Amino acid sequence: MYKFFKKKIPLIFFVFIPIIFLWHPSWLGFLGFQPYWPLFWLLPWSMINGSMSGLVFGLFLGLILDSITLAGNFTQIPGLILCGFLFGRIKLHSDFWIGHFRYGLVCSFGSFLCGTFYFLQILFKNFSDSNFLMFIPSFQNILAEVFLTGFFAPLFCSQLIRIFKFSRRKLH
Amino acid sequence: MLDIRRISTSRWWHKKKSWIFFVIFLFFIFVRISKGSIYKDFYYFLSKPFWPGQFQKEVIVNSLEQEFLIKLNLLEQDNIRLRKILSLQEVSNDDNISAAVISRKTGGWWRQIILNKGSKDGVEVGNSVIGPGGLLGRVNNTSLFTSSVTLVTSPDSKLGVWVDRIQINGLLVGVGDDSPNLILFSKDADIKVGDFVSSSPASTLLPPNIPIGIVQSIDEPFKEKKMIKVSLLAKPHSIDWVQILKLKI
Repeated sequence: MYKFFKKKIPLIFFVFIPIIFLWHPSWLGFLGFQPYWPLFWLLPWSMINGSMSGLVFGLFLGLILDSITLAGNFTQIPGLILCGFLFGRIKLHSDFWIGHFRYGLVCSFGSFLCGTFYFLQILFKNFSDSNFLMFIPSFQNILAEVFLTGFFAPLFCSQLIRIFKFSRRKLH
Repeated sequence: MLDIRRISTSRWWHKKKSWIFFVIFLFFIFVRISKGSIYKDFYYFLSKPFWPGQFQKEVIVNSLEQEFLIKLNLLEQDNIRLRKILSLQEVSNDDNISAAVISRKTGGWWRQIILNKGSKDGVEVGNSVIGPGGLLGRVNNTSLFTSSVTLVTSPDSKLGVWVDRIQINGLLVGVGDDSPNLILFSKDADIKVGDFVSSSPASTLLPPNIPIGIVQSIDEPFKEKKMIKVSLLAKPHSIDWVQILKLKI
């Protein structure tokens, strides 16, 4: 039983991403904004399991998160797929401090990618109305999310990488 | 004769792992099609011990007084108008449903709240949701125990509204920040900062005369229309209890 749970720890964390996405803990946010939670799981997963696995789980995450958010016209899948693929090409760094800061930078970049993809979809959908210019100020959503994701990433990603590595270790 | 035969029989469909991935993929497709109702119901039970209590009473009573004064004024005017017309359909608000907010996303792109009443309690897609102050949004999706509400600030929200002072209809569009934009398709509309915006009597999506917000700023980027920022009366980031209106318009 212990062996089973140890092996499945990453997937157990995966199940809780939509829950924390719904929970939206205000004490971990700033002015109502939240970090982009799925990246905290996707980065360690992709770094350990590689690009293809990252791509597939990016798709899975996108499917689940799209289903619990109401925006039927817009999707998070392209951003998460791209992030999953790109994160898989990053190797673990031996230096403790550089590794930590790198998680922050990479997650910020991923959050920027996902936010931009989402924003472009909104602009594209409203392009014909000639009202699309009024959506420009909401670019602040991306900036706030990028900042918060980068701020919390070293904390969450480093812990998750440790846990995921532990789950892959063989029992003696 | 040369006997050509396959040396290796290893194909992707022979791998157990591929089938496991395929089954997982089908499961996620199912979750996507069912709009995450499994997750939402799971979250319902998980968050049950943390649902909001009654401590917001004073804040709510103050907001309610303001709301009722504005509403009374609007209803009087509306009543006079209706008496003149004499052909409007009747609306009844006997079966409103009170619900607690169990999940709240009021920042970023996804602006929605999830309520602890679902299809089991008679909530239907399209029902309007109001809180202390006025309109919050419309029910977009229901599961057995929960219902998800698209807030008027969401980029997905577009509603017909009414500016009472100048008697004109407009379109309220959520843009992903805390103040939705009101579009008036008339350059000559004499709208001013401080004007009151309510749901349109002509709307097919909302019941009439629900307070929505107050004009915050006016911009004229286009020749043929005005863009107006509206400050909402109901504050979705702090409201814990809401009313679901089961009105048939």
